[in-house]
Amino acid sequence: MTATRTLRVAAVLDASGPAAERHARALGGFLRDGLTLTGAQVEAVTHLFAAEDAGAAHLLAAPTHRVRHVRLPPHRPDVVAAALAAFQAGGGADLFVFPAGPRGAELASRLAARAGGSVLTGVLSATLAGDRLVCRRTVYSSHLTGELSLGPRPWCLVLDATWDDARADPPPEHAVEAAAHLSSGVVSAPPPLLQIERLPAPPTGDLEAARLLVVAGRGAGSRQGVDRIAAAAARMGAAFGVTRPVAMNGWAPPDRLIGVSGTRTAPDVCITAGVHGAPAFVWGVEHAGFIAAIDTDPAAPIALEADAVIEDDAVAVLEALADLAEDAPGPDPS
Amino acid sequence: MSTLRVAVGFKVTPDYEALRAADWARLAAAESPESRAEATRFVRRVLGPFDEAALELALRLRDARAERGLETHLAAFSIAGREAHPFLKTLQALGYEPVCRVAPGAELDFAPPTTARLVAACAQRLGGDVLLLGERGGPGGSGTVPFLAAEVLGWPCVSGVTGLEPTEHERLRVTFASDDGPMRAVAVPPCVLAVGNAVVSMLRVPTLKERLAARGVPVAEHTAAGLGVDVAALLAGGPALTCLETIDRSRAGVVVPGETPADLARALYEDHLRARLEQP
Repeated sequence: MTATRTLRVAAVLDASGPAAERHARALGGFLRDGLTLTGAQVEAVTHLFAAEDAGAAHLLAAPTHRVRHVRLPPHRPDVVAAALAAFQAGGGADLFVFPAGPRGAELASRLAARAGGSVLTGVLSATLAGDRLVCRRTVYSSHLTGELSLGPRPWCLVLDATWDDARADPPPEHAVEAAAHLSSGVVSAPPPLLQIERLPAPPTGDLEAARLLVVAGRGAGSRQGVDRIAAAAARMGAAFGVTRPVAMNGWAPPDRLIGVSGTRTAPDVCITAGVHGAPAFVWGVEHAGFIAAIDTDPAAPIALEADAVIEDDAVAVLEALADLAEDAPGPDPS
Repeated sequence: MSTLRVAVGFKVTPDYEALRAADWARLAAAESPESRAEATRFVRRVLGPFDEAALELALRLRDARAERGLETHLAAFSIAGREAHPFLKTLQALGYEPVCRVAPGAELDFAPPTTARLVAACAQRLGGDVLLLGERGGPGGSGTVPFLAAEVLGWPCVSGVTGLEPTEHERLRVTFASDDGPMRAVAVPPCVLAVGNAVVSMLRVPTLKERLAARGVPVAEHTAAGLGVDVAALLAGGPALTCLETIDRSRAGVVVPGETPADLARALYEDHLRARLEQP
């Protein structure tokens, strides 16, 4: 009879900011659905980092039953990295899982470097095959999916942002372990950033909640073209987004950006106007119920990625569409 | 008065938007790094978008500091083959000096730890106070190179940088995107800054006069071994790409009939949108 091996997994959650709940769901969803094991069982613990003056409510979001609760000063990735490295030096884990985002990428990279392990970001799934961990992620600017076999342990995985959509309930109760102890030298080291201030977050809720979304692409031709598409979207009662080239040209504010670098949406209807259809953009609308693409280039990739295609001037067609939508009755309230 | 030394690293990649579905299928079927490189050899080369923003942000920082009477020394490097040479000459014309190319001697598309060691070695060779990079780029696009390079250097790292302003004592006021939204803070060199979705995204174009002035200035050439980095040893312990697959995102792609924009809009509206938009 073959003995079942144990894979020691550490989920890392920073509970000090507004992303904590989303990240907890992502970690829970990945541990439930994204990690495939053959002949091994998981022994999971959450490393939950929180501000020194935080209450205990954030513990409820921890995605595993076992929780190591570490209280640290805010905005100190250097201290968190030191805490994780200290944990690893004392036996630690085989696999660390971090939620998507710059914080996870930094901690995973620094931990892998210090512990002689391997780091991979954008992880869609992971499979333990013998002593190898094989992971899937998108590569070549989301044009292809790649399978990568990781190097030495500990394996430090940063999840793909799609895991942020996971619906995973935390366990009904938690067993909280003692906080990690750090040397005073680490904690008292000068902070890497000074005078930290949080800026007002640009409003993107309309994009995330939109039923009807209009997206302007580089095919709009100019800032004026983008403005006309935005005006037509407003007349239709649609949320308005743009592709990366439009935002980077300064034709629209960057908070309107749809795609890997911006907002991920799931409208009932998405109308793209002058959009080429780069995969990094399509990622942001792939959950749309229906996609209509208007563009002059019939060979653009968007023509294959849409449900309906119009080959014509996007601004003119959209303005005509806005005329029709304005005259039409709204949704039946009954 | 002291000088702030900024070293900017950049990557040159094939223009992936120029590839069609058949090209991607050919690339996915390629079984070696050499055959993958061959599959994109015919495509024009471009700067990685985040790298291009980093290069322009550095120039604007230099200009802003000059207005305060502060000196800034810009250097640029790329770990690349000969395809980086025209970009390095452009950067020379824009005032980057020195510019250098490091020949890695191996394909590093999916080897962030090795790339990071080379990047850190370049920053040390150039003597930068600030290492400025794009936050991700290239086929792997891992976004880990800035952090791994920072770890080698023992420096802090800020990613998602969207703005850079001079402030007192050679420090920099940095605007950046964090997990919890946009932030602003003061960074104290030495540090690594990884540029993200900066609105300043396009590199300025040098004048003919600037190009002519830089014409005779050589591009420094280094090897990995010359920088003290054993690429073969590092690659042996790194991740291995075992499989590539195309992604099927296709939908019905029904062509809407019509002659004029008004006809087309009406057909789209009546045949596809009306019922969906009138649903409560």
